[in-house]
Amino acid sequence: MNYSTSQFKNGLKLILDGNPCSIVNNEIVKPGKGQAFNRVKFKDLITGKTLEKTYKSGESLEGADVMELEMQYLYSDGEKWHFMEPESFEQYDLSEESMGSAIDYLVEQDICTVTLWNNNPITVVPPIQVILEVIDTDPGLKGDTAGTGGKPATLNTGVVVQVPLFVGIGDQVKVDTRTNEYSGRA
Amino acid sequence: MSKVKKNLVHYQDLIIKIREFFYSRKVTEVKTPSLLFSPTTDVYIDSIEVKVNRDISRSTDLYLHTSPELEMKRLLSKGSGDIFQICQVYRDNEYGSNNFNEFTMLEFYRIDFDMHSLVDEITDLLKVLGKTDAITKISYAQAFSEYGNIDILDADLQDLKKIANSLGLSSDYDWVEDLQTLLFVHLIEPKINQIPVCFIYDYPKEQSALAKIEGPIAHRFELYLNGLEVANGYEEIQSADEYRDRFNNELYKREKISKKHPIVDEEFLRDMKMGLPRCSGVAIGIERLFSTISL
Repeated sequence: MNYSTSQFKNGLKLILDGNPCSIVNNEIVKPGKGQAFNRVKFKDLITGKTLEKTYKSGESLEGADVMELEMQYLYSDGEKWHFMEPESFEQYDLSEESMGSAIDYLVEQDICTVTLWNNNPITVVPPIQVILEVIDTDPGLKGDTAGTGGKPATLNTGVVVQVPLFVGIGDQVKVDTRTNEYSGRA
Repeated sequence: MSKVKKNLVHYQDLIIKIREFFYSRKVTEVKTPSLLFSPTTDVYIDSIEVKVNRDISRSTDLYLHTSPELEMKRLLSKGSGDIFQICQVYRDNEYGSNNFNEFTMLEFYRIDFDMHSLVDEITDLLKVLGKTDAITKISYAQAFSEYGNIDILDADLQDLKKIANSLGLSSDYDWVEDLQTLLFVHLIEPKINQIPVCFIYDYPKEQSALAKIEGPIAHRFELYLNGLEVANGYEEIQSADEYRDRFNNELYKREKISKKHPIVDEEFLRDMKMGLPRCSGVAIGIERLFSTISL
């Protein structure tokens, strides 16, 4: 199915240069003495890159069959990361490349958002906040409870996050996956 | 004071300032008809058609003016001297967050002004309205060489198609001016949206509209406020023959893209036989301008 510029809106998924993309900004520009254009910002759903294109009114692009589904992360076999759609029990797997930074945050049983393109998973977005366990960090300074200082801590997924000095090995911590920042003890 | 009242008073204050600005410079305020017998010939501007007098068996098609330009030029040709007008204008097939079927236009003409003196006067007006940002002036060609590394005045249709393709844009355009505009919208506007007040002048001759042409350029300018087009002005062509040529060129293009083919406003051309005095004029979108001036 093709979509013409008059149907463009934020969130519409289209094929651009062979990749599925999502419109993040659609601006209609009509120069006083010229024809109307749509200046469009896209996010490439596979590479994550932002693309800017300009179309004259009436141009059209092919729609992309893209779905976002909540899935449960099951396990990784080292090569593939396996997910299950909880309603249909259908399983999907993603390569390390497609997993991107989600690898740093997912522990088994977590619910996350998987994007399917033509029924193939292309990206996964972890929950905004995850709870992970500290497996390695330097001992903190005695009496520091305000969290004014910071130190690196390695968590059970392997990701390194700055934590307050009072956090120790074995502690459960909350991490904001958008910023990779510590947001509290769990 | 309610928010509505506050906004109304703010709008009124700005309109008063505009009127006082022109009164103090001995520019006469005029009012020209908004229902016209001829639609605009501009290829990318469409008039709204109005049927009147049907119930009294005198049915006539009239057209809401898309700008008061031609009617004001008729006054100029008859000796009005410097004039300005603030009026509603109407355009069909407009849509978008900055485009509406009706908006308010300030249009004024200054006798013996060239393009640059008119730009200076607009600069004075912006100051009076409280817009005190530094002024940037850059020619169309400079903008393209600086922000796009493109020699726009030297590029022909094939060159521009290649550039559009290399940017992943469609090159399915019939005219040089359309590709120039595509590239301006795509490459230049996003760059100049960092500039509070930017005059772009010396448009390529293919985009002359009704401006005087000298070599490869037309004495036409546009004002952009943070990347938003707010004004379009030029040093005016003066003879009936030139006006007829420009209108016919637009009509040819309208026909090519299967748009309605209006007839040329012969009454206007008759008035132009007297000749237009040497002058420059500009149209300013009031809502767009005021949206950049905070309360």
